[in-house]
Amino acid sequence: MKDLFLARAVAFNSFSESVRNRFFTLFAVFAFTAVYASVLAGVMAVDQEARVLTDFGLALIELTALAYSLFGVSSSLLKEAETKTIYLVFSRPVPRRVYLAGKLAGALLTAGLMLAIMGAIHLSLLAFRGFGLPEFYAWALAGTFLKLAVIISFAFFVSLFSTSAVSTLVISSIMWTLGHFAAEARFMAERLPGFKGIVFNVFLWLIPNLQLFNARDAAGAACALGPGVIVPAASWVAASYLAALWLLARKEF
Amino acid sequence: MTACAVSFSGVEKTYKRPRLLGAEYHTAVKDLSFELRAGEITGLLGLNGAGKTTVMKLITGLLFPTAGQVRVFGCSPSDVAAKARVGFLPELPYFPPQVKPAAALMYYGRLSGLSGADLSLAVESAMRKTGLEPHAGKRVSEFSKGMLQRLGLAQALLHKPDLLVLDEPVSGLDPLAIHDIRGLLAGLNSDGRAIFLSSHSISEVEKLASRVLIMVRGALAATVTRAQWEAAPGGLETIFVEAVK
Repeated sequence: MKDLFLARAVAFNSFSESVRNRFFTLFAVFAFTAVYASVLAGVMAVDQEARVLTDFGLALIELTALAYSLFGVSSSLLKEAETKTIYLVFSRPVPRRVYLAGKLAGALLTAGLMLAIMGAIHLSLLAFRGFGLPEFYAWALAGTFLKLAVIISFAFFVSLFSTSAVSTLVISSIMWTLGHFAAEARFMAERLPGFKGIVFNVFLWLIPNLQLFNARDAAGAACALGPGVIVPAASWVAASYLAALWLLARKEF
Repeated sequence: MTACAVSFSGVEKTYKRPRLLGAEYHTAVKDLSFELRAGEITGLLGLNGAGKTTVMKLITGLLFPTAGQVRVFGCSPSDVAAKARVGFLPELPYFPPQVKPAAALMYYGRLSGLSGADLSLAVESAMRKTGLEPHAGKRVSEFSKGMLQRLGLAQALLHKPDLLVLDEPVSGLDPLAIHDIRGLLAGLNSDGRAIFLSSHSISEVEKLASRVLIMVRGALAATVTRAQWEAAPGGLETIFVEAVK
């Protein structure tokens, strides 16, 4: 119970610091511009306007939220160490596992708020063009949130051993890209013979299959995200959290 | 016999800096043994790079010793039971510029396990003790260096620690702020709190501490009591200069 109270304090502090940061406002303006761009693409699609407007907008929402989250997370722990804020935390009775859980929860809350803001902008644009709420829209946003949760927790892990925020950003972006080709890579790995196949298969288990959460692609085609995807998402988040905790527990400041 | 707040026995701390080929090692403190007594003000003097900050970080569990043992109130410094009894002021503490002092203190109070009315009272008391009350409406970005240092001290006092570890508490402050902080530390000590402070200002340590540890290149060069430096011609400064030469 005490740990939960501490984690909540860290999470809300992390969330409010992110939201108060000028970077958040800048990204919100950028998000509005990016989502608004989907109106232009929709107009050009003529009779498929509703679908293009929905799909294009959701894709932009995902990429903008990804960029925002990775920029924030990759420098989060590094900044706390550089400004010595972390001294004031770890010299207190705050277990490192609780601090990490709080930081992760704070980052997820911020990503969730960013998604909600962009979703509201997108839906208002759809309404402006005379279209209603697309079917499974909430599922698409939920899928994007799960993807973000997986990559945010991975970025926390990377930030604990990488030497700069830029390298965390690059490594996490590579993982994001690989995650969208996990099924194709597994298909190829199954066809690789002998030892090479085994090694490739083991390596692929370390890559999250982000296609599982791609309800965005299916939203226009009226197909929902299965509720079963919560399990792999939670597993990848937990694995990244435990790996990050292993590093954080040994880290000196 | 006075109770022991902190004990170092044969402590060594070596930093490892990874390089392209292998690693570079630097021993910051070696074979360090001393005790800090409960309720006493102990000063830590040394030149830059003598290992003062390393010692403070070892006490607060921010660093782990390479060899030897550090105990804080009989526990490991990483133990939450030890941390609950220690307040730490690092050199040049940072607070988010957009927050007000009470909001910053509320956060650190929560991390110290305080909540509800206890938290509000602790914040109020820490702000009053450190003279921050008249500045409660200002944001941290409007604070001078002296006020930031007071805020740093206030966060260390929130949970009424038995031991205060202060790294350069008067560094860069104007004479009036130094005078106020000195008065505050003396008051805290009279309440029974042990204070361990490092400083480059020999005169400040001389005014506050009853015992001083002098570190030279990571080792303890001398332990001097108030009676010793008061009896010595030239006082603590002469003893310090002779120890570091």
